[in-house]
Amino acid sequence: MKTLSLKNLAKTYFDPYAGSHVNAVHDVSIDVEQGEFVSVVGPSGCGKTTILNMIAGFIPYTGGEILLDGKPVKGPGPERGVVFQSFALFPWKTVLDNVGFGPKMRGVPKAERDRIAREYLALAGLSHAAHRYPNELSGGMQQRVGVVRALANNPDVLLMDEPFASVDAQTRMTLQEELTRIWQERKPTVLFITHDVPEAVFLANRVVVLSKGRVLDQIEIDLPRPRVWDDLVKDDKFKQLSARVLQMVRAA
Amino acid sequence: MNVLLQFWSGYARMTRRWPALAAIIPFIPVVALWSAVAAAGIFPRAFFPGPVDVVNSFVTLTYKGILPDYLGDSVIRLFTGAAVGMALGIPLGVLIGTSRWAHRICWPILLFFQAIGDIAWLPILLIWFGFGLTTMTFVIVYTVLFPVVLNTVLGVESVPRDLARAARSLGASPARVLWEVTLPGALPNIITGLRNGLGYGWRALIAVEMIVGTSGIGFMMFDARRSGSTVEILLGMIILGLLWYIVDAWILAPLERATGQRWGLVTS
Repeated sequence: MKTLSLKNLAKTYFDPYAGSHVNAVHDVSIDVEQGEFVSVVGPSGCGKTTILNMIAGFIPYTGGEILLDGKPVKGPGPERGVVFQSFALFPWKTVLDNVGFGPKMRGVPKAERDRIAREYLALAGLSHAAHRYPNELSGGMQQRVGVVRALANNPDVLLMDEPFASVDAQTRMTLQEELTRIWQERKPTVLFITHDVPEAVFLANRVVVLSKGRVLDQIEIDLPRPRVWDDLVKDDKFKQLSARVLQMVRAA
Repeated sequence: MNVLLQFWSGYARMTRRWPALAAIIPFIPVVALWSAVAAAGIFPRAFFPGPVDVVNSFVTLTYKGILPDYLGDSVIRLFTGAAVGMALGIPLGVLIGTSRWAHRICWPILLFFQAIGDIAWLPILLIWFGFGLTTMTFVIVYTVLFPVVLNTVLGVESVPRDLARAARSLGASPARVLWEVTLPGALPNIITGLRNGLGYGWRALIAVEMIVGTSGIGFMMFDARRSGSTVEILLGMIILGLLWYIVDAWILAPLERATGQRWGLVTS
């Protein structure tokens, strides 16, 4: 079992302008089991992106530990795939080469990585866009590429940092439905950061509510799958769960 | 009115079919005015030659082999200097752009030396290296170096941080990030730097050739002054403009467009 464990994770940094230490994250413990989809939700400034950046290895942590499969995490690595809010696609590479980038770094030959990339593009319904450049795609399509680029590298855990925050509302709902579908097909381990409560509830098996750098509560989301918005907007249980999480986030 | 519109329409269609015409047509009135002034005899012919005289001089000098030799010398000097300038400037720019310490240390020094223009180095260079190729190459390299370094730094720093992070979390080593992310991301700026550098270098070269040269277009022009040959001076000036136009419009500008605009890095 490849479990991602955060144990008493903390991040303190020195603010030279305030002249004091700031505790961005303190004492956060979260476990994500293999094949689980966990959303982390909280108001802005609650430390959720800091946590993701520490797991991804982009910034160091100052206390506690991050274990993947029992081993401590240090620096960025391909076993932790990241999907960015800014998409972060390589503008000078075609969609196919963007998706094949991870396999390329592993030394997979060109023909084989093209095959892998095409398989994942098909999964996101993007086969027709393989030879286009990112700037020729809409925001929604760019983020589909961002998601399958991370998946094509077969990471142990997929870290998603508010990935749908910068696309329009309708596209966002479609992307959320596609993500749940892909998750059901492939069962990747996902840690999904968002400030959008319905999004967190819609996607996850479990929602972690974060406030001021601490875990406030964790709520199991036992809604049936496949999940589609047309059904869930009318679903009482979904409404109840969303209301409960929202209350906590607003009180936070 | 109608005639003007028809004329404009004809011009638009013609220049779309032969884009080179768009570069030539604006010069027609300039050359016409020049011919008219020369033909009117306001100034003595030897003092203000017309286009036909310059073309004749071009033919004679080409026939004698002087012009091709001088032109070749100038172009080779420019490209040697540019190649060395790039070989030094791009790595230096990448270093300054990626390392905060290198930036802190090198940036003030860079700005200081940028202010000392190429020609300002000539007196000391002439004492150190004398009248020759070393001095000329030094000046060209110096001129090309700064635009290349400064634009490379700008390019490297303009690459979004998330791109490097994405590459790292897809398994790229720091060295691969440099090759796969930093350099391609900075490339449009590097080409802009090269374009500026070559432009400055070309002008600096002519100035230096006038002072220390024994061959080259700059030398030809300055030598013509001694013999009072205005025709050759004008010919030199025209060649400078033409050659730069060809290099910039036909090689450098398309290169710049092919990278930046294709990738959506440059919006225009």
